[in-house]
Amino acid sequence: MSTLRLDIESSSGTLFGPRLGKVSLQRDAEGSTLEILTPGLITSTSRGVVPHLSRNNVNATAAICWVHVPFESFLEVSPPTPTLQPGAHPLHKYLGFRRDQHIVSTSLRDPSDDREMPANGNGFANAYCLRGVRKVTPADWRNWVVKMQPDIVTALTDVPFTAGPHSQKRMTKSLERSSAWLSDLLQPISDTGVDTRRQRSILVHMAGGVIPTARKAFSLSLLETLYGKEAEAVKPLATLDEGVSGYTFDLVPLHKALSPTAAPIRSTHPPTLAATMAALDPHVDLPTPEASAKLVPLLHASLSPLPQHKPRIAHSAASPHEMLLLIRDVGVDLFDAHWAQRAADIGVALDFTFPAPNGGADARADLGHNLYDTRYAHDFSPFADAFGTCETNNDDKDTARTTCPCIACSPPRLGTPLRHSTVDGPYPAHAPAPFTRAYAHHLLHTHEMSAHALLAAHNLAVLDAFFAGVRVVLAARPSAFAREVERFAEAYDGGLAVWAQARAAWAEVALARGKGRMAREKEKQEQDTLGTAVEL
Amino acid sequence: MQFEVLATCHTTRARVCRMTLGHGVTMLPTFMPVATQAAIKGLTPQQMEGLGVSLILNNTYHLNLRPGIKVLQEAGGAHKFQGWNHNLLTDSGGFQLVSLSKFTKITEEGALFASPFTGEPTMLTPEESMSIQHAIGADIIMQLDDVVSSLTTGSRVGEAMERSVRWLDRCIEFHRKSGRDEKQNLFAIVQGGLDPALRDRCLEEMIKRREGVAGYAIGGLSGGEEKDIFWRIIKQCAEKLPADRPRYSMGIGFAEDLLVCVALGVDMADCVFPTRTARFGVALTHNGPMNLRLGKYAKDFGPIDDTCPCPTCSDGTSRSILHHTITRETSAAHAVTLHNLTFQAQVMGRARDAIIAGTFPKYLRSFFAGYFSDSGYPEWCVNALRSVGVDLLEGDPAAKVVRGNGAKWEYSDAS
Ligand SMILES: [Zn+2]
Ligand SMILES: [Zn+2]
Repeated sequence: MSTLRLDIESSSGTLFGPRLGKVSLQRDAEGSTLEILTPGLITSTSRGVVPHLSRNNVNATAAICWVHVPFESFLEVSPPTPTLQPGAHPLHKYLGFRRDQHIVSTSLRDPSDDREMPANGNGFANAYCLRGVRKVTPADWRNWVVKMQPDIVTALTDVPFTAGPHSQKRMTKSLERSSAWLSDLLQPISDTGVDTRRQRSILVHMAGGVIPTARKAFSLSLLETLYGKEAEAVKPLATLDEGVSGYTFDLVPLHKALSPTAAPIRSTHPPTLAATMAALDPHVDLPTPEASAKLVPLLHASLSPLPQHKPRIAHSAASPHEMLLLIRDVGVDLFDAHWAQRAADIGVALDFTFPAPNGGADARADLGHNLYDTRYAHDFSPFADAFGTCETNNDDKDTARTTCPCIACSPPRLGTPLRHSTVDGPYPAHAPAPFTRAYAHHLLHTHEMSAHALLAAHNLAVLDAFFAGVRVVLAARPSAFAREVERFAEAYDGGLAVWAQARAAWAEVALARGKGRMAREKEKQEQDTLGTAVEL
Repeated sequence: MQFEVLATCHTTRARVCRMTLGHGVTMLPTFMPVATQAAIKGLTPQQMEGLGVSLILNNTYHLNLRPGIKVLQEAGGAHKFQGWNHNLLTDSGGFQLVSLSKFTKITEEGALFASPFTGEPTMLTPEESMSIQHAIGADIIMQLDDVVSSLTTGSRVGEAMERSVRWLDRCIEFHRKSGRDEKQNLFAIVQGGLDPALRDRCLEEMIKRREGVAGYAIGGLSGGEEKDIFWRIIKQCAEKLPADRPRYSMGIGFAEDLLVCVALGVDMADCVFPTRTARFGVALTHNGPMNLRLGKYAKDFGPIDDTCPCPTCSDGTSRSILHHTITRETSAAHAVTLHNLTFQAQVMGRARDAIIAGTFPKYLRSFFAGYFSDSGYPEWCVNALRSVGVDLLEGDPAAKVVRGNGAKWEYSDAS
């Protein structure tokens, strides 16, 4: 049995204030517990793997602790191959995550994918894979989950990805389906007779779209005492919520619904480049601060009836600014790192801290560096100014900075070098130096995949340090947190201008590489919400 | 450079040598992975170190374009720029000039080409090539040679060979005067096409210049020529080249080519093949190449090779997850690249052990039996190895032998 629990160390005492805590996953059979301090991060994956990081680099990235795996790409083969993996802990084994280091959760769909989909049915949810749309029944999902044994699974939900607006009738149906599908996942598997419910922890996505009353109604349905057949099905649970370990919020469909209908994007770029950008990067809509603010009452509507001691998880927050808002005003505990990982795809090296540095410049600083920019061609400094590296001397307390532990700023030794013959002499060990912006700039312009490996690991580390900074403030001076959030918003550009520049440069370099390469990149961007095409 | 021959095979011309350069010891024979743009595709230098690789190659032509010599000088050389603390070799840039630029014109002064940035006529002279390679700072640098395709015939082949000798003189002269010859080792490149008489003449001239030359490369091959001619030229060159200099066969990377070249006396080779083929989903194994894109691997939960020590196999990465991610996720390309480079290093490492143990002929037979068991031995390998006293068909005269170039592939069933 594994249990996911949240220990709240301190909270503001209100329902929705910031919370400092610790999420732990206890695996009784193995006698082990994995812990993540909260607020904290969840690593996103594409096709089951952390984009750009081979397994030894995943293992060398301390920020990667909880990994979320959208399952839908595996629907390309029937039955899905992870469900056939032999041995103990099949999903960990199949994807190469370590039991002692990684919590693995799965959901049917990629929470960052906003493509239009055909409507779900009463008995099935639609999912997307390379070979097209696939219908998945609640029973399929339950059976696969039992076979794969993820630590944590998100129940199927009926989120409409058809063109809105959605009628009241449609919304009611959506809520009913979502709770029925949760109920199904909470059932023991009858054909084996084994009570498998308790081998995993179940998360439920907070349904109801942008209608507060619908959201609240869904939460209340989780709390209803069950009778008769319904109670029998999930025995010994008295309510559905008793079987739920945490609540998730997919922000992408909310962003989409809350943002003013996107006008045709007017571009200052030349037509070919604009077309290239549109083709390469369909997921660019950044919510306005107003749209982000509108999330708060919606999340409140979902959470207000529910018990407070369960983790609150947000997928695809659009920026650190939005993350801070959701920590401060909703008490969200965990965020996926999709935003930071995506930055690595487009050549941005993150460089920011929480709290923001004192006495900043007049202009808002960028959250990172667009390393495509020629200004970095001769810049031999490490990726981030805000962090030290393995070479930084921190003896001077005044200027001491946190060391970035990533494979770019503090390159690790990756095991004992292999020896290939008995006569091989000693293999000298050198102290590795941090990688520079100039080197990453060169790799980006020559389309070398190593650039993204270094950036992906670095960006995860910076986001991890950001949450550590949030926790420090919440622990030491909780009353100053709201003020620090304001200061952060004043210090850093939440409009992500540097992202737009990086995306344009990324498209430009892709364009310059020719048609075949463009076609591959376009295909990759259409299929997945993270990662870049393999450079052939 | 310190160069020491530690052992020679009692039957073939294979040998084990210790080559000590500015950034450590490289044991020969060895395969050099290619980091064209100052990175092995997708990997970090730390990952390369984990594989025990001690010598890699950068391409001068590419680094001269990007990041450019100024950046490399500011960085303190290519080693520092890419974070690689082991040995490094650069080519002269001549080969890429000819293969990548349509407008290159060779004159006695140098290679005249259109700058890929400005279109301006630009001249790469032997002196300029040396100067660029000095800025890059590799432990081994190559002379600028006059490259012609191995399929070229007629007087151009002889002219290119003679000019390569003259350009060698200019490279030696410039290199010596620069004072860099203590740290950087200049290799000559033997040309002469597929004509044994021209090769002999080139060898004779270049061996005369051995005092200015730390090692010799055999150039102008692996451009689509008949394999039966390829190995004869390699054999001819390796036999004549001085024993106290390393011999480098350029652009060789298939396992069977590597082992034949080693048996003929070659010490070093490089090729983009193992890293490029990895990105297309082909894993190299001792039983032949494995195309991970094939549907049959979708439900295969074993690693590429369960005896392989590479990070990918030793972590248990299955053929199934590689099938799911290959050509779609960069990390899958990294995983197979790590494996393929380990495979290449193993093929050469085992050769070193076998040469020392006096069992190299046996190693050749067992490797070829495993690698070509089902598809049949390439006839040219049988011929080449017979010429140095190893009969692959010994004990199995009925074994299948195939004509032609005999590269072994699992063709894709994926689109
Ligand atoms: Zn870093
Ligand atoms: Zn391997």
